[in-house]
Amino acid sequence: MEIKLNLNRRSFLKTAGAAAMIGTTGLLEIPKKAWAGEGRLATLIDLTKCDGCTDREMPACVSACKKIKAGRIPEPADPIPIPFPTRKVEDWSKKKDVSNRFTPYNLIFVQKADLDISGQKKTVFIPRRCMHCDNPACSTLCPFAANDKFENGAVVIDQDTCFGGAKCKTLCPWEIPQRQSGVGVYLKVLPTLMGNGVMYKCDLCSDLLKENKTPACIEACPKKAMSIGPRNEIYAKAGELAKSIGGYLYGKEENDGTGTLYVSPAPFEFLDTAVQKGPGQPGLGRVKRRMAGTDAIGKAVLAAPALGIVAGLAGAFAFISKRKDKSGKKEE
Amino acid sequence: MSERIIREKNRVVRHGWVELAGHWTIALSGLALLLSGLFELPMAARFKITAIPGFGWSSDFIIALYIHYIASVVFIAAAFFHLAYHGLLNDRGLLPKKGDLKASIDVIKTFFGMGEEPPFDKYLPEQRLAYLGTAVVIGVLVLTGLIKTYKNVYAPDLSHTMVFWATTLHNLFFVLFILVFVGHIGAILLKPNRPMIRGIFTGAVRLDYAKHRHPLWLAVLEPPALPPSKSPDAAEAPMAAHTAESSPGKYHSP
Repeated sequence: MEIKLNLNRRSFLKTAGAAAMIGTTGLLEIPKKAWAGEGRLATLIDLTKCDGCTDREMPACVSACKKIKAGRIPEPADPIPIPFPTRKVEDWSKKKDVSNRFTPYNLIFVQKADLDISGQKKTVFIPRRCMHCDNPACSTLCPFAANDKFENGAVVIDQDTCFGGAKCKTLCPWEIPQRQSGVGVYLKVLPTLMGNGVMYKCDLCSDLLKENKTPACIEACPKKAMSIGPRNEIYAKAGELAKSIGGYLYGKEENDGTGTLYVSPAPFEFLDTAVQKGPGQPGLGRVKRRMAGTDAIGKAVLAAPALGIVAGLAGAFAFISKRKDKSGKKEE
Repeated sequence: MSERIIREKNRVVRHGWVELAGHWTIALSGLALLLSGLFELPMAARFKITAIPGFGWSSDFIIALYIHYIASVVFIAAAFFHLAYHGLLNDRGLLPKKGDLKASIDVIKTFFGMGEEPPFDKYLPEQRLAYLGTAVVIGVLVLTGLIKTYKNVYAPDLSHTMVFWATTLHNLFFVLFILVFVGHIGAILLKPNRPMIRGIFTGAVRLDYAKHRHPLWLAVLEPPALPPSKSPDAAEAPMAAHTAESSPGKYHSP
């Protein structure tokens, strides 16, 4: 093999290094917020309007959601396979009526915050459901791609491919997805060794959205406390509303942005302190996207092929050049 | 460091430092990817790996992702380095040749006492096939991994069809990667292959082993023999002695 070199080793390494820098920089310059573009929907939850439907047995949004969603979960296997070695089964099928927390059969619930602000007593009701985050770790890190971020912004779990490993719940800052054991595809694979059911959470009534209909909870709200629309419009509307009442926003900065904006007359730190918290009952604290820390290394992963090629070519040219030097010396 | 015979030490240099560094970079980063990949599945909490001393962190998916990403940078860069470096130097020693499949079956038969091994080149025919298989597995893992990383960083709403296939293939080839790893370790533990273990740690194997098993390779390393009348020691040394200075490698294989 004979390769003629017009570059000496030093000039080649300089050129290769520059090429690597340009390639890498080019990759890093892809706009980060590409997903916040057109076609995105967002929802606004106006806490000044929500009264928790205290005159009803169950808030209208909760009963509307239960009506169309809870019945979609198949009856669990009987008996439900016991997973090895944890032996942890989550069966909510006998507790379908629970409505004060997230369960597979209850994808929205209303929290109550009794506040005492400077001697003024105030009660705020907060409907809680999936926030439909802009860059949701529950979706991007699902090991079976069963959790998808739709183009319209909805984050949707595919019940046919979910194995119920609950990774999405662990990754969700609010631990919103809930598991029903004894249902799903895992039963057909290795039910005691792999998977443990199906995860359930709000899908923003994506099937209704496809038909240009409004999600059930928004449609059912008697106070019109919830609204849905193009993301930019909802973001603007929420900002204006918060400004006009001297209120506060939640969901805009949380987890690096979400598709759900709350507008509250009271600071969310107060609401977070006042609401009942526990399993399936998340707080309203400030949330940072933990995956954000990995983005820089992710970009380095994307640049790694270019770095490897440049280093490989540099190494090969250096080897050839060294070999030429040696053979030249021998001839002398 | 190039391939050469060091007769006085009964050694043949089989791998240069670039090949050794490449192998161990791929191997160690691959092992880190394998473990962190298992933790991403998720398996650590489910199978109580978290209870193993020192592995309490293993159920934290973000920590596992950091490790997976860092190992990926090293692994992918090393894989592309390998392609570019050996591609440019036209190293073809590990690429499969015609007849390798049949030859591999014959060699495997000899492990069970059926027949005798033919004389080998630097690499065994099954090593060349395994190299191709490993390259395909690594290639699919790298490609699908890059798609998944792009989605994580820039496009969480990337086409679900693409994400689904990238994820499914990544998972399937992850299982194949484990099998390749187990097969690789299993192969070097076979008695006839054990002398090669020294080579992947030090770069050199025993000359007597190479004479016995890799005569075709040694024939390439040897300069043409002088006629007996002009070579006083040719009769007692059919293979000329070489030193680092006297015999630069004729080719540069991985």
